[in-house]
Amino acid sequence: MSRTWDTARRNREARLQRAAPLARGKWVEAAEVPRLLEALVEPGDRLCLEGNNQKQADFLARALCRVDAARVRDLHLVMSVLALPEHLELFERGIARKVDFSFSGPQAVRLARLVSEGRIEIGAIHTYLELYGRYFVDLTPRVALLAAAAADEEGNLYTGPNTEESPAIAEATAFRDGLVIAQVDEQLQRLPRVDIPSGWVDFVVRAPTPAAVEPLFTRDPAQISDVQVLMAMMVVKGIYAEYGVDRLNHGIGFDSAAIELILPTYGERLGLRGKVCGHWALNPHPTLIPAIEAGFVRSVHAFGSELGMEGYVAARPDVFFTGRDGSLRSNRAFSQTAGHYACDLFIGSTLQMDLAGDSSTATRSRITGFGGAPNMGADARGRRHASPAWLRAGREARGDGPGAPRGRKLVVQLLETFREHMEPAFVERLDAHALAEAMGWALPPVMIYGDDVSHVVTEEGIANLLLCRGAEERAQAIRGVAGYTPVGRGRDRRAVENLRDRGIVRRPEDLGIEVREASRDLLAARSVKELVRWSGGLYRPPARFRSW
Amino acid sequence: MSAPPAPRRSYREAGARRRLLAVLDPGSFRELVGPAERVQSPHLAALDLPAAFDDGVAVGRGTLQGRPVLAASQEGAFLGGAVGEVHGAKLTGLLRLAAREQPAGVVLLLDSGGVRLQEANAGLLAVSEILRALLAARAAGVPVVGLIGGGWGCFGGMGIVGRCCDGLAMSEEGRLGLSGPEVIETTCGVEELDTRDRALVWRLYGGKHRIVLGEADLLVEDDLAAFRAAAASLLTRRRVLTLERLCQAQEALEGRLADFGSCADPVDLWAAAGVVAPAELPLLEPEPFLAAVARARRPVP
Repeated sequence: MSRTWDTARRNREARLQRAAPLARGKWVEAAEVPRLLEALVEPGDRLCLEGNNQKQADFLARALCRVDAARVRDLHLVMSVLALPEHLELFERGIARKVDFSFSGPQAVRLARLVSEGRIEIGAIHTYLELYGRYFVDLTPRVALLAAAAADEEGNLYTGPNTEESPAIAEATAFRDGLVIAQVDEQLQRLPRVDIPSGWVDFVVRAPTPAAVEPLFTRDPAQISDVQVLMAMMVVKGIYAEYGVDRLNHGIGFDSAAIELILPTYGERLGLRGKVCGHWALNPHPTLIPAIEAGFVRSVHAFGSELGMEGYVAARPDVFFTGRDGSLRSNRAFSQTAGHYACDLFIGSTLQMDLAGDSSTATRSRITGFGGAPNMGADARGRRHASPAWLRAGREARGDGPGAPRGRKLVVQLLETFREHMEPAFVERLDAHALAEAMGWALPPVMIYGDDVSHVVTEEGIANLLLCRGAEERAQAIRGVAGYTPVGRGRDRRAVENLRDRGIVRRPEDLGIEVREASRDLLAARSVKELVRWSGGLYRPPARFRSW
Repeated sequence: MSAPPAPRRSYREAGARRRLLAVLDPGSFRELVGPAERVQSPHLAALDLPAAFDDGVAVGRGTLQGRPVLAASQEGAFLGGAVGEVHGAKLTGLLRLAAREQPAGVVLLLDSGGVRLQEANAGLLAVSEILRALLAARAAGVPVVGLIGGGWGCFGGMGIVGRCCDGLAMSEEGRLGLSGPEVIETTCGVEELDTRDRALVWRLYGGKHRIVLGEADLLVEDDLAAFRAAAASLLTRRRVLTLERLCQAQEALEGRLADFGSCADPVDLWAAAGVVAPAELPLLEPEPFLAAVARARRPVP
């Protein structure tokens, strides 16, 4: 019997035939979408519902919630971010059964509850790049539901500044005979640019409301504390200046926003303009505006956009990647690759760290997932190009040992010794282990592994883990910056003083930093309004960040 | 490329004493009834609440551009600068001292949500005593001026104290009013005033609107040096209180109600007052702002 080699393609044709009466060409009326999905989606399908870190295919998510759960059921969702209540409602209604994902920030508590009730089966929690990788290996979507800014009659898509993951999902789906459905904010005669060609797209629907986008990367400078300014000074002087860090990625948080905001003041005074912080893999953080205007920043490639930054980005094409239409072109897959392989440094905040330097943001009652931080915050062992910062970190890590020279990525973890409610940030054992035991997972959800961390920065000082020899030295170095937490008070004082003599633990005074000088007055902008002024009025912050 | 804003030392973010030291001539401030004397609230301990050695206000003598002045500065970090018995007595004492000593003026750095509710009637009495002493000092020929630019604004009884001064300088971030936004939301409902709409709250209470309404005299940057210059300038503009002036003020207020009583948002009022691009006002720096509203301002005599 001869084998057929195009079962998926024939199945796709059958689905398209079932759906054809509901569409006019590629265009479908919004009210018809639940019926369209019933015609197109089969039980047990792997389905990607575009849920990005920022942009959400929220109309299609609502439509999928409204299908007949007797016809469309047991779906296997493959999607990066579980952000909307509808994403979990699909499981409560039995429309979906299993999920492979990356991040679940706003739904972390509800997700943990549904998992413990046995109503969601988690395949695995990935980093972004792993999940995109698996789209092209064993988790290819059968159906993808995308969000775009606009489409033309033929179904070409324009994604505007928030392109994010759309091209990666569409490519994986379209080239394995899957089906691609896009919601768009508007239909245009001529698109400003084509981000996804119509040949990859099967159906388009105009959503009644524009796709939801969250301003996730806006940090109001008014909420940055003096302590965060002190930590930022230590990072700029003790790490950026010393290693000459010119290619980098910042995580989200007030700690790293403080660094961005003291570059034009403190960084300028240290003579660092043109020497550090030139090239970034970063969303368009509003708090980066002063460093861009002051001439520190030469290029930024973005994972996604940020609400309110569109006009500013469009007016700074020398800095940002922009299309012929002038607006930002973001792409999470490429920016994650850049962050992993092309950057010398990652810096981010964390909630909990143990004596091995492992850190996590997971707690017993929340399944938050990973997002992209583990890829940024990991030594790129496959990297083969040199830079001064990378080589120096490698020398510090290797010492005078045998073997070929090799570089290291700088992975910096920022944390105040106590977080809110006076919870110690340093612990003997991460909550992640208890969560893994409760959920029966093989892997505890460790965000950044200690052996990837090069520096730990707290308000007490910097611990350089590259220079530590052995687990005991690492533990004492971490205790040495852990302040008055039980872990910090458990330090061997003489061992820590010895580490200090060797430059492994460094206090602000060791770096020539006056603690008294660490105040918000060093911030180039102390409010969102001052960011608007730096931008010459081009940055238009969302209402929730305005007090005028 | 836009010129980077010059780094400023924020008035709003400075503490009470740091503000005083920056507004007065360097090194001139001498505190009266300072924290070392530990004159603190007798009421808070009874409620098991922490007290402050200065009861949340610093008062004393100093000079401003070489001329002797008395000055007070409320500490918003302690109970929102609220006026308790001791806090009020220190302000009252300072104003009475002014009537006796006849300095070149009294400078009040106001940062207060109003009466300290924990001290109830003692706080209410204190506010009325402050008002009496303030008017007595003015009647004795000593100008009293207020600066409003702290995080707590100037509300409740202290809002009345502010409006009894010879002159007021405000930053846009500073707020002046009688009932604060939360009070209005709680008593009249969120439809009347949605306090989550921070932009609306600042449009309504902030320095710019108070300038248009004629309740504040000078609009300054959120900058310690700018407040210092404003304080010196205000001291030269004494306003003698006469019955005729009070009647004119009453007429002006009645006119405001008649002209703008139906406005739902300050932007409507600015438009009705003849501002050309009212929605743009909040983003303007003080100088272009003052030019934009020059003809719309309605000074209260």
